[in-house]
Amino acid sequence: MVVTQLSTRPRQGEDNSTPTSGEARIRIRDVTLSYGSLQIIGGISLDIAPGETISVIGPSGCGKTTLLRMLAGLARPTSGSVELDGSVLGGPNRSIAIVFQDYGKALLPWRTAAGNVSLALEARGCPGAERPAIIRELLEKIGLGRHADKYPAEMSGGMQQRLQIARCLAQEPKVLLMDEPFGALDAMTRQALQDEVLGLVATTGATMVFVTHDLEEAIYLGDRIICLQPNPGRVGRVVDVRLARPRDQLLTREDHEFLRLRRELYDLIKDDHQ
Amino acid sequence: MKHFSLRKLLLGCGALALFILAWKLVTDAKLVSPIFFPGPERTYAALVKGLSGGAMLSQTLETVQRMLLGWLLASFVGVFLGALIGVSRRARAFIAPTLELLRPLPASAMIPIAIAFLGFSDNMVLVVIAFGALWPMLLATIHGFAAMEPRLYEVSAVLGLSRAQVIWKLALPSAMPMILASLRLGLTISLILAVVGEMLASRQGLGQSILAASRSFRSPDLFAGIVILGAIGLVGSRLLSFAERRLLRWQAVNR
Repeated sequence: MVVTQLSTRPRQGEDNSTPTSGEARIRIRDVTLSYGSLQIIGGISLDIAPGETISVIGPSGCGKTTLLRMLAGLARPTSGSVELDGSVLGGPNRSIAIVFQDYGKALLPWRTAAGNVSLALEARGCPGAERPAIIRELLEKIGLGRHADKYPAEMSGGMQQRLQIARCLAQEPKVLLMDEPFGALDAMTRQALQDEVLGLVATTGATMVFVTHDLEEAIYLGDRIICLQPNPGRVGRVVDVRLARPRDQLLTREDHEFLRLRRELYDLIKDDHQ
Repeated sequence: MKHFSLRKLLLGCGALALFILAWKLVTDAKLVSPIFFPGPERTYAALVKGLSGGAMLSQTLETVQRMLLGWLLASFVGVFLGALIGVSRRARAFIAPTLELLRPLPASAMIPIAIAFLGFSDNMVLVVIAFGALWPMLLATIHGFAAMEPRLYEVSAVLGLSRAQVIWKLALPSAMPMILASLRLGLTISLILAVVGEMLASRQGLGQSILAASRSFRSPDLFAGIVILGAIGLVGSRLLSFAERRLLRWQAVNR
């Protein structure tokens, strides 16, 4: 069982708001998870600073999604704990939003785009009179302003995933969890959404944990990359990403550091597969 | 789209015209004695007479009212109980075997029991209708709740929806296609049981009037009653599919 204790690291360009390790937004303490005799997660510890973006990669079956579900409060650790702002997470919490990969199942097909966003507002008791303005603003922000009255079935995959993100933003979350959210989308849509999510995270100051199997996506989005290893899932390596923000689809991806990281991660993952 | 539905309507009317023509040919050829089997003209005449001056109009209204009341009762009780049972896995496991035992009982077999408790009354007929028409709604609601996309339960947990909100905003709408289909089925059952109830308990209505017409060899009146019953069923089913299309617009865009 490998236990990795990590100190938080300030986000580049925000050195004045450097969090000390005592101010972690999320603290994962020696978490394990087993189903019967099968251990899925074998001891993970990690501190995530407010506003930090963490990418999680690893081969399939390494517990990426399970880890994310524990952060969302949807799965309960067998031992250890997850803390949000210093208090132990007992279950799902409105401050922690999660974007599922299967947007088609996560949206309400009988509600329009506006109605789907409204669900999050209704859940947190937002007065009816205030909802339309908030909904309009959120849909506008995510590029669905002209599609408020469309049903999910009338929208493309990219639009549906945008809508799910808008609904998560309506929760006003401190933490945004993303479970391979763009895995089912085409390359152009994926890049557009990567930039939009980065913009949203920058403006809202949300902390993001982004699970992906795409190494370049992990580098492009993250401040740090957590590489998980399987059987049972544990932290293999933590890689700092020292790339300037805001990031750019062309310039960042041509950056020498980006290419070096890509090589490093590729070798790492390749070793895991052997 | 409009053109297409018009063609469908014409096609449907064509089949009806053929049916009436066959009816006329059989009766004109006197294949069956006219005492028992009147032609379309005599049936139509009886229909016009009954609805314009006779008792048939008030009898029709009686039957329609009975059917609707029983159906509404069954719908409310069915969907309400179905929601209560469907929302919890434990409740489903607890009650499902009992429901499976009760469900196949023919509602008409309940009539003697209902008579024993309520006598030959309108309430008795109403209870029989409600009991018989309850099952489709009850089972559709239970199944609809059970079949809700599991991901949506997770979404509701993360958003922090209350149990009542989950029922009202997620489970009911997601069960709605099944519930609406069951409402249509329930309406048909209500009509059948309204007629049977009227016949057995001799309450005012089309059922009783058909029975009386048959016993006194007034076959045109008998057939006029049957035509009205058919029309009631048709109109009810049409209204409900119209409501279905309105309420399930989100589904139509899938196709």
